[in-house]
Amino acid sequence: MVKEIERAGIPVVHMCTVTPISMTVGANRIVPTIAIPHPLGNPALSPEEEKALRRKLVERALEALTTEVEDQTIFEV
Amino acid sequence: MKLELGYIQINDIQFSKECKVENSTLFVDPDAVKAFMYEDDDVKAWVKDFSFDVAKPGESVRITPVKDVIEPRVKVEGPGGVFPGVISKVDTVGSGKTHVLRGMAVVTAGKIVGFQEGIIDMSGPGADYTPFSKLNNFVVVAEPAEGYQDHKHEYEHAVRIAGLRAATFIGEIGRNVTPDETQEFETLGIKEGIEKYPDLPRVAYVHMLQTQGLLHDTYVYGVDAKRTLTTILNPTETMDGAIISGNCVSACDKNTTYHHLNNPVVKALFAAHGKTLNYVCNIITNENVYLADKQRSSDWSAKLCRLLDLDGAIVSQEGFGNPDTDLIMNTKKIELQGVKTTIITDEYAGQDGKSQSLADADPLADAVVTGGNANEVIILPKMDKVIGTLDYVDVIAGGHAGSLRPDGTIEAELQVITGATNEMGFNCLSAR
Repeated sequence: MVKEIERAGIPVVHMCTVTPISMTVGANRIVPTIAIPHPLGNPALSPEEEKALRRKLVERALEALTTEVEDQTIFEV
Repeated sequence: MKLELGYIQINDIQFSKECKVENSTLFVDPDAVKAFMYEDDDVKAWVKDFSFDVAKPGESVRITPVKDVIEPRVKVEGPGGVFPGVISKVDTVGSGKTHVLRGMAVVTAGKIVGFQEGIIDMSGPGADYTPFSKLNNFVVVAEPAEGYQDHKHEYEHAVRIAGLRAATFIGEIGRNVTPDETQEFETLGIKEGIEKYPDLPRVAYVHMLQTQGLLHDTYVYGVDAKRTLTTILNPTETMDGAIISGNCVSACDKNTTYHHLNNPVVKALFAAHGKTLNYVCNIITNENVYLADKQRSSDWSAKLCRLLDLDGAIVSQEGFGNPDTDLIMNTKKIELQGVKTTIITDEYAGQDGKSQSLADADPLADAVVTGGNANEVIILPKMDKVIGTLDYVDVIAGGHAGSLRPDGTIEAELQVITGATNEMGFNCLSAR
């Protein structure tokens, strides 16, 4: 899906836990997430901490989306 | 470490007040098995009742949903007991003598958590895809206690323990029986092995354990393997139940406890040990859901392969999807240490077999054995008798809405069949 959307000329950020698979399939902008059962959250945290975590991840993704890349790039959080 | 297995052939199971093995028939009292299972407090707390049945090869019987399959064994000489850290006290197993009730298994079945998986057909086309259709199965169907809905994991634990206890009780019946056949297995210490087999390549088995949680767990000496670092086992430890299964979802490529006890990779490496290779040890490593864990565990696999000065390693996967990355990380890192690898996996290549088989890949993973394509569609005929329930056939992995047809037949992917595409290579879909 990432590749097809990019083929249409729209940049994509792939937020995922297993970044090696994302690299293998050819995503260009990758943001690593928390865990496979809960990529964008963490049930071990309090609701306040989790909200902050989610915001951080989304902001990092938006930053990645507006960053020029030459090659496949992982945007560490 | 040396272990002798004494095989007691079981060709039939009969319910009886007296528990004994006579002329290859197991006579067993289900009430006594039940009483032994209920000696455990967790079983007492979460299992309302058990019912028992026997399923024999060739019968028109379907067992579903299957939780675990366990071969009864008993330790007759040497330290420890079967299933150490779970049923027996923690003690290093894998030496001395163990009796095996061969040709039979304990199968635990019944509703576990929401939906639950696994089909064993004792006859028809489905029987060809599961090794357990060839065994005499002592089937234990568990019924949850009231209020289990809020304690599903406790209930899953209770049924897991109940199955192991049933197998332990039955194994004990074979304690004083003279085995029909015995076989010895021995691996050596590092230095000893190099001195004895100076010219043979040093090979280990990198055994990946499913540890994703939520019914995808494996236990080693009673420890939840997702909380472990990659480590070493003597191969014979697995024959005494050092590793037990806590997973049954996508039943085709999950290792039951029976698979762990009868691991075909261990068996094949022992057959070649001292002849074409020096079987050094097993390296067990997990498949967790955090990337950092995947990186750490595969780093350790590669590090241990190097420390052991291996020439080659066989890597077997358990499950599919993100564990494909654990598989590829292990393989790539081990190869980069100069150790040759062969991997055993299975495929999710779509119903037509035309899609990419694994979610991850690397040019260094260039020697692959496949257990088959789990997406292949199969039609299973109606059976005269169902042990368990057909309630979940439409919602299990590999099933779909309408899988269970009005005439009682089932259309589903091979995924639904317990052990169909086993990644230890236990089955015969492709290479064996």
